Amino acid sequence: MNIQNNAPNPDAPTAGATHTADATTVEEGLAIQEEQAKFDSVAATEVAMQNTLLTPRFYTTDFDELDAIDVSSVREDWDKLIDQMVSDPNKGHFRKNEDWDHVDWDGMEPQLKKEFIDFLISSCTAEFSGCVLYKEMKRRGANKDITQLFQLMARDEARHAGFINDALREAGVAVNLGFLTQKKKYTYFRPKFIYYATYLSEKIGYARYITIFRHLEAHPEHRFHPIFKWFEEWCNDEFSHGEAFALLMKTDPKLTSGKNVYWIKFFLTAVYATMYVRDHQRPAFHKALGVDPDWYAHEVFTKTSKLTEQIFPITLDIEHPRWQPTLEKLQKANVDLAEATASGRFFAKLGAQARAAAAFVSLFTIPVKKHQVPASTRLEPAY
Amino acid sequence: MGLLTKDFERAPCTVEISHKFESLHAHVRFNNGAVIYPGDEVKVHGEEIMAPFGEIVVEDREATIIRASKLEQLWTRLTGDFEVMELCEFSFSEEVTL
Repeated sequence: MNIQNNAPNPDAPTAGATHTADATTVEEGLAIQEEQAKFDSVAATEVAMQNTLLTPRFYTTDFDELDAIDVSSVREDWDKLIDQMVSDPNKGHFRKNEDWDHVDWDGMEPQLKKEFIDFLISSCTAEFSGCVLYKEMKRRGANKDITQLFQLMARDEARHAGFINDALREAGVAVNLGFLTQKKKYTYFRPKFIYYATYLSEKIGYARYITIFRHLEAHPEHRFHPIFKWFEEWCNDEFSHGEAFALLMKTDPKLTSGKNVYWIKFFLTAVYATMYVRDHQRPAFHKALGVDPDWYAHEVFTKTSKLTEQIFPITLDIEHPRWQPTLEKLQKANVDLAEATASGRFFAKLGAQARAAAAFVSLFTIPVKKHQVPASTRLEPAY
Repeated sequence: MGLLTKDFERAPCTVEISHKFESLHAHVRFNNGAVIYPGDEVKVHGEEIMAPFGEIVVEDREATIIRASKLEQLWTRLTGDFEVMELCEFSFSEEVTL
């Protein structure tokens, strides 16, 4: 094993920043990290840690199509957004300071601890996967506007992943990055599906984090871990990434019209339904936060719908009488499916799968709400 | 590349793993310009690469690229899109009841 001691990039600035949270570029961050590496000696404590192998996917897409994007129709907004990301307002934010209270992991109720760690690992993996995807797009693209955007987003995602990783380490969970030497398959996403899914994932991510942040501002007694204090700046990064994807979609009106509206509806339904089902798997986590998962889901969907009006011509009708009961049926079918799978009951499994599919179709066929998409796309975080 | 047969290729690659506080990332770069297509599999040879916390490991390794058959490539192009949901922060946990 070769632990790097030399700067990976001779052009990387070495003066100025002394903490990687202050680093402006990936290269500068790496250079500082090498300096710090000399002082880190944690191998001994890692032996006793619970090992969690990160298993992100690897992706390919149509890179020619990506290169063909022309942002000149949104140039003004685009340059402003990129400048803001280059200026990196959150540089230096993602580090522990005196606000990072001591966490009593040993005193934490076991079920809560389990669910909270699961929450941290899934967040870390998602940030990490975003980083892998964005970096790949940066590396294989040739269009300067696009590669710059993906480089900046990869920087943010790696920073978030590192921050969550540190919280996990405190809890005695070591993230294992050894997956690279396992055989891995590259899957394929069409560029437009990357836009829909990542746009939504960034915007719903913003809505999720800010909802928890505001709730804990009002109810600090429920803040059982200091990481929640960092959610505001964190979600502002998510917000900017979402803005970039909104502008990308704006460059090609076909992406948000015609039969693509059905794809948008599909992604909205799938993302909302997935979130609902997953969140209901963590009852102790939500109880500790003092949050009712049904209230939370409704709140997040409302905010996300409002935000996505900037570019999508439709929103889901989450007030429709069929919406909530069907989500509950989907959740129930999902639990039954897991039980049937675990106990090897074939017909029970088939039945649960059919109920889940029927619930999804029922959600998907609720008529949408249509609206006029505003001429100007850009939004600022306001929640 | 055949309709049903896989091809194997060797490619030198550079692996970079950062296990640092501010940047947790891992990337593989092929040094001979090899391009990955949908459905291809990549195996980096040698010991598992572990970066201790606070360090970056960069290593030159040999990788085998297992090229997907034409049919498999087509299948991945058709079905891969549905895995896109994994990019959502709340999609990862495999366990339904914790």
